[in-house]
Amino acid sequence: MAENRGGLRPTAPQYNPANVSATGGNGQSGQANPGYTGFPYGQNGQLEAQAASAPMAAAPKPVSPPSAGMPGMGGAVTPLDELQPDGRPISDGVDFGAGRGSEALPPRISSPMNQSENLDLIKRYLPDLLNATRIPNAPDSYKRFVNYLREQIL
Amino acid sequence: MQWLENGFFDHLDKFANSLGYEHYAIAIPLAMVKWKSPEDRDVFIMTITNQDVKGGGNRDFNPLAVN
Repeated sequence: MAENRGGLRPTAPQYNPANVSATGGNGQSGQANPGYTGFPYGQNGQLEAQAASAPMAAAPKPVSPPSAGMPGMGGAVTPLDELQPDGRPISDGVDFGAGRGSEALPPRISSPMNQSENLDLIKRYLPDLLNATRIPNAPDSYKRFVNYLREQIL
Repeated sequence: MQWLENGFFDHLDKFANSLGYEHYAIAIPLAMVKWKSPEDRDVFIMTITNQDVKGGGNRDFNPLAVN
Protein backbone atom coordinates (compact mmCIF):
# COMPACT_ATOMS: atom_id res chain seq x y z
CA MET A 1 0.00 0.00 0.00
CA ALA A 2 1.43 3.32 -1.07
CA GLU A 3 1.94 6.10 1.44
CA ASN A 4 -0.42 9.01 1.11
CA ARG A 5 1.95 11.90 1.72
CA GLY A 6 4.07 14.39 -0.21
CA GLY A 7 3.13 16.39 -3.24
CA LEU A 8 0.89 19.41 -3.43
CA ARG A 9 -1.60 19.60 -0.62
CA PRO A 10 -3.81 22.66 -1.30
CA THR A 11 -5.26 22.53 2.19
CA ALA A 12 -1.85 22.81 3.85
CA PRO A 13 -1.52 25.96 6.05
CA GLN A 14 1.19 27.48 3.91
CA TYR A 15 -1.26 27.83 1.05
CA ASN A 16 -3.88 29.60 3.14
CA PRO A 17 -3.69 33.31 2.14
CA ALA A 18 -5.17 34.33 5.48
CA ASN A 19 -2.46 32.53 7.39
CA VAL A 20 0.12 35.34 7.56
CA SER A 21 2.64 36.16 10.19
CA ALA A 22 1.84 39.10 12.43
CA THR A 23 5.49 40.10 12.32
CA GLY A 24 5.59 40.09 8.55
CA GLY A 25 8.17 37.37 8.36
CA ASN A 26 10.60 39.15 10.64
CA GLY A 27 13.42 36.87 11.63
CA GLN A 28 13.24 34.78 8.50
CA SER A 29 16.05 34.44 6.06
CA GLY A 30 15.23 37.70 4.38
CA GLN A 31 14.95 35.94 1.07
CA ALA A 32 11.69 36.36 -0.71
CA ASN A 33 9.80 33.17 -1.20
CA PRO A 34 7.96 33.60 -4.43
CA GLY A 35 6.38 30.20 -4.07
CA TYR A 36 6.28 29.49 -7.74
CA THR A 37 3.42 27.24 -8.62
CA GLY A 38 1.55 26.50 -11.73
CA PHE A 39 4.55 26.12 -13.99
CA PRO A 40 5.12 22.85 -15.85
CA TYR A 41 6.40 19.97 -13.85
CA GLY A 42 9.96 20.49 -12.75
CA GLN A 43 10.16 24.19 -13.49
CA ASN A 44 8.81 25.42 -10.17
CA GLY A 45 11.85 24.12 -8.38
CA GLN A 46 14.19 25.57 -10.97
CA LEU A 47 12.60 29.01 -10.64
CA GLU A 48 12.85 28.90 -6.87
CA ALA A 49 16.48 27.86 -7.09
CA GLN A 50 17.15 30.68 -9.49
CA ALA A 51 15.47 33.20 -7.18
CA ALA A 52 17.40 31.89 -4.20
CA SER A 53 20.71 32.32 -6.03
CA ALA A 54 20.09 36.05 -6.57
CA PRO A 55 20.36 37.79 -3.21
CA MET A 56 17.96 40.62 -2.56
CA ALA A 57 19.33 44.10 -2.47
CA ALA A 58 20.01 45.42 0.97
CA ALA A 59 17.36 47.65 2.46
CA PRO A 60 18.22 51.35 2.09
CA LYS A 61 19.68 52.92 5.20
CA PRO A 62 18.25 56.15 6.52
CA VAL A 63 20.20 59.20 5.45
CA SER A 64 22.09 60.68 8.35
CA PRO A 65 21.97 64.46 8.80
CA PRO A 66 25.06 66.34 7.62
CA SER A 67 27.59 66.95 10.27
CA ALA A 68 28.73 70.43 11.22
CA GLY A 69 32.08 69.77 9.62
CA MET A 70 30.69 69.27 6.15
CA PRO A 71 31.62 72.05 3.74
CA GLY A 72 28.81 73.94 2.09
CA MET A 73 26.48 73.72 5.05
CA GLY A 74 26.89 74.98 8.57
CA GLY A 75 30.58 74.30 8.61
CA ALA A 76 31.35 76.99 6.00
CA VAL A 77 29.89 79.91 7.96
CA THR A 78 32.51 82.43 8.98
CA PRO A 79 32.01 83.81 12.48
CA LEU A 80 31.63 87.57 12.61
CA ASP A 81 34.54 87.89 15.00
CA GLU A 82 36.91 85.80 12.93
CA LEU A 83 39.95 87.73 11.81
CA GLN A 84 40.45 88.18 8.09
CA PRO A 85 43.89 87.93 6.44
CA ASP A 86 44.35 91.68 6.89
CA GLY A 87 43.95 91.31 10.64
CA ARG A 88 40.50 92.90 10.85
CA PRO A 89 37.31 91.10 11.83
CA ILE A 90 34.66 90.55 9.19
CA SER A 91 32.33 92.91 11.09
CA ASP A 92 34.78 95.80 10.79
CA GLY A 93 32.86 98.95 9.74
CA VAL A 94 29.50 97.70 11.05
CA ASP A 95 27.89 99.05 14.19
CA PHE A 96 27.84 95.65 15.87
CA GLY A 97 30.30 92.86 16.42
CA ALA A 98 34.04 93.20 16.70
CA GLY A 99 36.07 95.89 15.03
CA ARG A 100 35.37 99.52 14.27
CA GLY A 101 31.89 100.96 13.77
CA SER A 102 30.41 102.81 10.83
CA GLU A 103 32.61 105.81 11.63
CA ALA A 104 35.38 103.92 9.87
CA LEU A 105 33.55 104.02 6.54
CA PRO A 106 34.61 106.55 3.93
CA PRO A 107 32.46 109.72 3.96
CA ARG A 108 31.14 108.95 0.50
CA ILE A 109 29.52 105.75 1.80
CA SER A 110 28.22 107.10 5.09
CA SER A 111 26.67 110.16 3.42
CA PRO A 112 25.11 110.02 -0.06
CA MET A 113 26.12 113.59 -0.84
CA ASN A 114 28.80 115.69 0.70
CA GLN A 115 28.28 119.24 1.88
CA SER A 116 29.65 120.98 -1.21
CA GLU A 117 27.35 119.01 -3.47
CA ASN A 118 24.40 119.99 -1.28
CA LEU A 119 25.31 123.66 -1.54
CA ASP A 120 25.65 123.37 -5.29
CA LEU A 121 22.16 121.90 -5.35
CA ILE A 122 20.78 124.88 -3.44
CA LYS A 123 22.56 127.41 -5.64
CA ARG A 124 21.23 125.76 -8.74
CA TYR A 125 17.57 125.74 -7.67
CA LEU A 126 17.33 128.74 -5.35
CA PRO A 127 16.42 131.39 -7.99
CA ASP A 128 13.44 129.36 -9.16
CA LEU A 129 12.52 128.44 -5.59
CA LEU A 130 12.55 132.14 -4.65
CA ASN A 131 10.33 133.05 -7.58
CA ALA A 132 7.84 130.44 -6.44
CA THR A 133 7.44 132.23 -3.10
CA ARG A 134 5.74 135.06 -5.02
CA ILE A 135 3.07 132.77 -6.40
CA PRO A 136 -0.35 133.64 -4.93
CA ASN A 137 -1.45 131.17 -2.28
CA ALA A 138 2.12 129.96 -1.74
CA PRO A 139 2.00 128.46 1.76
CA ASP A 140 4.02 130.02 4.53
CA SER A 141 5.67 126.67 5.23
CA TYR A 142 7.20 126.79 1.76
CA LYS A 143 8.44 130.34 2.26
CA ARG A 144 10.05 129.36 5.56
CA PHE A 145 11.82 126.48 3.86
CA VAL A 146 13.21 128.72 1.09
CA ASN A 147 14.47 131.17 3.72
CA TYR A 148 16.26 128.24 5.38
CA LEU A 149 17.93 127.40 2.07
CA ARG A 150 19.03 131.01 1.61
CA GLU A 151 20.68 130.95 5.02
CA GLN A 152 22.65 127.85 4.04
CA ILE A 153 24.52 129.58 1.22
CA LEU A 154 25.08 132.95 2.93
CA MET B 1 0.48 131.79 -12.11
CA GLN B 2 -1.21 129.71 -9.45
CA TRP B 3 0.11 127.45 -6.73
CA LEU B 4 -0.51 123.97 -8.04
CA GLU B 5 -1.38 121.38 -5.45
CA ASN B 6 0.18 118.55 -7.45
CA GLY B 7 3.18 120.49 -8.72
CA PHE B 8 6.90 120.52 -7.97
CA PHE B 9 6.79 123.36 -5.45
CA ASP B 10 3.91 121.80 -3.58
CA HIS B 11 5.77 118.50 -3.47
CA LEU B 12 8.90 120.25 -2.24
CA ASP B 13 6.94 122.05 0.45
CA LYS B 14 5.48 118.78 1.75
CA PHE B 15 8.70 116.78 1.60
CA ALA B 16 10.89 119.49 3.13
CA ASN B 17 8.51 120.12 6.00
CA SER B 18 7.79 116.43 6.60
CA LEU B 19 11.36 115.12 6.34
CA GLY B 20 12.98 118.16 7.94
CA TYR B 21 14.67 121.15 6.32
CA GLU B 22 18.10 119.60 6.83
CA HIS B 23 17.11 116.80 4.46
CA TYR B 24 16.51 119.14 1.53
CA ALA B 25 18.99 117.16 -0.59
CA ILE B 26 16.54 114.26 -0.43
CA ALA B 27 13.40 116.40 -0.60
CA ILE B 28 14.33 118.04 -3.92
CA PRO B 29 14.66 114.86 -6.00
CA LEU B 30 11.56 113.42 -4.34
CA ALA B 31 9.67 116.57 -5.35
CA MET B 32 10.71 115.97 -8.95
CA VAL B 33 8.86 112.66 -9.01
CA LYS B 34 5.67 112.80 -11.07
CA TRP B 35 3.34 111.66 -8.33
CA LYS B 36 0.08 110.19 -9.49
CA SER B 37 -1.84 112.37 -7.07
CA PRO B 38 -1.21 114.41 -3.91
CA GLU B 39 -2.77 111.58 -1.96
CA ASP B 40 -0.26 109.06 -3.34
CA ARG B 41 2.57 111.40 -2.41
CA ASP B 42 1.18 111.94 1.07
CA VAL B 43 0.76 108.22 1.67
CA PHE B 44 4.42 107.80 0.69
CA ILE B 45 5.47 110.52 3.11
CA MET B 46 3.44 109.03 5.93
CA THR B 47 4.91 105.61 5.22
CA ILE B 48 8.52 106.73 5.50
CA THR B 49 8.03 109.20 8.36
CA ASN B 50 5.30 107.38 10.30
CA GLN B 51 3.81 110.83 10.94
CA ASP B 52 1.22 113.08 9.38
CA VAL B 53 2.21 115.17 6.40
CA LYS B 54 3.57 118.58 7.34
CA GLY B 55 3.58 121.75 5.27
CA GLY B 56 1.00 123.44 3.13
CA GLY B 57 -1.71 124.49 5.46
CA ASN B 58 -4.18 125.07 2.66
CA ARG B 59 -5.74 121.69 3.18
CA ASP B 60 -5.75 118.93 5.71
CA PHE B 61 -4.85 115.47 4.57
CA ASN B 62 -6.99 112.73 6.03
CA PRO B 63 -5.28 109.37 5.53
CA LEU B 64 -8.46 107.52 6.50
CA ALA B 65 -10.09 108.88 3.35
CA VAL B 66 -7.53 107.10 1.14
CA ASN B 67 -8.44 103.60 0.07
